[in-house]
Amino acid sequence: MKTPDWFKKPRHYLFLKIFAWFWVTVIATITTLVFLSKLTSNVGNDELRGPMLKNLQYTAKSIERIVAKHGKSTQEVISHPRLSKHKLLYLNGEVHGVEMLSEPISKDIDLSLLNFTKRMSPQIIFTDEYQAYGPVKIDVPEGTFFLYEIDEKRKKPFFVGLWLMPTWLKIIIAVIASLMLSFFFSRNLIAPINSLKETANKLAHGDLTARADISNSRQDELGVLGRDFNTMATQLEQLISAQKRLLADISHELRSPLTRLKMATGLAQMQAEDAQQAYLERIEKEANQLDKMIADVLQVSRLEAKSQTLSLSTQSIQVIIDHVLNDVRFEANQCNKHLSVEGKIEKEVPCDETLIASALENVLRNAIKYATQHIHLILSESDAIYITICDDGKGVDEANLERLCEPFFRQEHARDRNTGGTGLGLAIAKNAISAHDGTLILENQEQGGLCVKIRLPIKS
Amino acid sequence: MKLLMIDDDTGLCELLSEYLTAQGFAVDCFHDGAEGLAHALNHNYELILLDVMLPSMDGFEVLKQLRQKKLTPVIMLTAKGEDFDRIFGLELGADDYIPKPFNHRELLARVKAITRRIEHINSLSQQQTSSLSVNSIHINLATREASVNENTLSLTGTEYEILAMLVQHAGEVISKEQISEQVLGRRLAPFDRSIDMHVSNIRKKIAEHVNNERIKTMRGSGYVLIQGE
Repeated sequence: MKTPDWFKKPRHYLFLKIFAWFWVTVIATITTLVFLSKLTSNVGNDELRGPMLKNLQYTAKSIERIVAKHGKSTQEVISHPRLSKHKLLYLNGEVHGVEMLSEPISKDIDLSLLNFTKRMSPQIIFTDEYQAYGPVKIDVPEGTFFLYEIDEKRKKPFFVGLWLMPTWLKIIIAVIASLMLSFFFSRNLIAPINSLKETANKLAHGDLTARADISNSRQDELGVLGRDFNTMATQLEQLISAQKRLLADISHELRSPLTRLKMATGLAQMQAEDAQQAYLERIEKEANQLDKMIADVLQVSRLEAKSQTLSLSTQSIQVIIDHVLNDVRFEANQCNKHLSVEGKIEKEVPCDETLIASALENVLRNAIKYATQHIHLILSESDAIYITICDDGKGVDEANLERLCEPFFRQEHARDRNTGGTGLGLAIAKNAISAHDGTLILENQEQGGLCVKIRLPIKS
Repeated sequence: MKLLMIDDDTGLCELLSEYLTAQGFAVDCFHDGAEGLAHALNHNYELILLDVMLPSMDGFEVLKQLRQKKLTPVIMLTAKGEDFDRIFGLELGADDYIPKPFNHRELLARVKAITRRIEHINSLSQQQTSSLSVNSIHINLATREASVNENTLSLTGTEYEILAMLVQHAGEVISKEQISEQVLGRRLAPFDRSIDMHVSNIRKKIAEHVNNERIKTMRGSGYVLIQGE
C-alpha cells in the first residue's frame, strides 16, 4: 500500500500541525494537573459563610440553651434526635483528648485532623472521608468545646472515584479524550480551508461555476473568508460571461452592416471602371476576411457557451480526415511543405462531422503555417481515437503552450497578420474536440516543433 | 421575373433590389413577416427570399403558413448560420438557404438556378405533354405534378426536381453532387446535408400513401429509385 503524503511529510499539513499542538496542549494540561494534585494533600478548607454558618451557630446556641435550661448532660443533648437528626455533631474540647459525638462513628473516619482547625474561624473542611463544618465555640458545664458538624460521604464522589482509578487507565482515557477533541477541533478548522483550496484550483482551471462549500451559519474568520471567496468567484463568473457575451453580441450585430457592405461592393463592381476594380476587389477580400473572423468568433462563443447543437451522426473518422486532407494537401503543396500520413482509423463514432472537420482543418492549417518542411499526421486507435499532428517548426515557449488555445492569442513572432489566420483556429479546434468529450493537448517535441494531440473517446 | 424579398433590414433590401433589378428581376420588398406572407399568398411570385429573424412573425412561421397553400420556391436567408436553422428551414419546405453575410454573386447564382429551372419547365410544358411512370410513382412533366397511386404529392419545387431526376434515371445511382448541381445549381459543399433533407422530405410524403420504401440510400455514393417491386 502506498504511504499517504500527509504521513511522509507531516510538516506540510496545517491540519496535522494544529492537531498536534492541540493535543500536546491538552495532554500537558492534564499531566500538570495530575502532577500537582499528587503533590498537594487531599485535605482542603475554606471559610464558612452564609446560611451554613448561621445554621451551625444556631445549633451551638441551642445546645448551650438546652443544657443550661434542662440541666441535662451535654452528651444527652447532642444525642437527642431533635438536634442530630441526619447529621453528626462532634464536640472537641479545649483540653486535648476530651471529645463528644452525637453517635458513634466508624473507625475509618479520622477526626484528629480537625484538631488543627480549633483556633480558626468557622471553616468548611474537606477530607477524603468526610466534610466538616466548624468550629463554633460553645460553653457548657463540662467545659469549653468546639462544635463541628460532620457530613460523612456515604457515596464516593465522582472525582474521588476518578482519583482511585488505576493510573494507566487514567492516562489512556486522557489520551483518547484529548485525541478526539483535538481531532474534531482541528478538522473543524481545516475543512473550510481544504474546500477553499479545491475551489480555487477548479476556478484556476476554468471551472467558473465552482464554489467553496462553507455553511452560512459559520461566523468565524474562515466562514467570512469562505463567503467572501464565493462572492469573488460569482463576480468573476459574471464578468467573464458578460465579456464573452459582449464579444458574441458585437460579432452578431456586425453581420448586418457587413452584408450591406458586400452588396454595395457588388453594385459598385457592376458599374466601376477597370481602374477601380482592383480596389473593389480588395474591399471584397477584406470584407470576406471580416466575415470569416465573425463566423469564427461566433463559433467559439457558441462552443464555449455549450449552446451549439451538435448534429450527431455515426461517421467514419477516416472519411472526415480524408475530406480535410484533400483540401489541406493542396495548401501544403502550395507552400512547398510535405504532409505525411501514418496509420488508419477504422472506427465509426457518433460525431458532428462539420465540427470535427473544422477542428482538424484548423490544426492542420496551423501546422502548415509554422512548419519548416514537414507536417506529420499520425492516426491510431485503441481505447480511443488518437490523432496527432506534428510540425517541424520552432515550437512554442513552454509558458505559452496553455494560452495557445485562447481566442486571439498569438506568440510575439507570429503576430504578423499576413498569414491570414483569425487567431481563433486552435480555440475552435479545442472547443470542438471538447464538445465531443475529447481532449486536445499541445506539446513541444524534443527535436523541436509543436505536436497537437487529439483524443476522441469511442462511444457507441 | 417577379421576386419577393421579406427582410427587416431595409438598407439591405434597397441594395439587393437595386442589384437584382440590374440583373433583370423585379423585386418587391417587405420588412414584416405577416405583411410579407399576406403578399406572398395574394400574388404570384417566381421566388421568395425569406429572412429568418423578422418582426411580428419569424421566417419559419411565414414558411410554414405559406407551404400550407403555396409551393412558391423559397430561399431562406439565415443570419445565424447555425445548422439547426438550416435543417429546420429545409424540413419546413424551403428550397435552399444562403447564410448571411452572403456574396452577391453566390446569391445571384442560386436565384438564377431556381428561376432557370422554372423557365425550362415552362418551355417544356408548351412543347410536349410527356409523363413518366416508375413503380407506381407518376410524374407529369407538363404540370409539374407528381403522384403515387393516383394520390397527388404536394412537393416543393426542389423536391419535385429531385424526384423527377430520380424517376428519369430510375434504377441508376444518382450522386448527391449530381443532384446539387442540377437542382440547386451549386456544387455540393463537404458535409452539406441539404440534399439529404430534401430526399427525406420526399420519402415522408411518399410514405403517406404507400408503405414500402421507393428511394434507397447508397451510402457514400447517392440515391437510387428502385424499379419494380
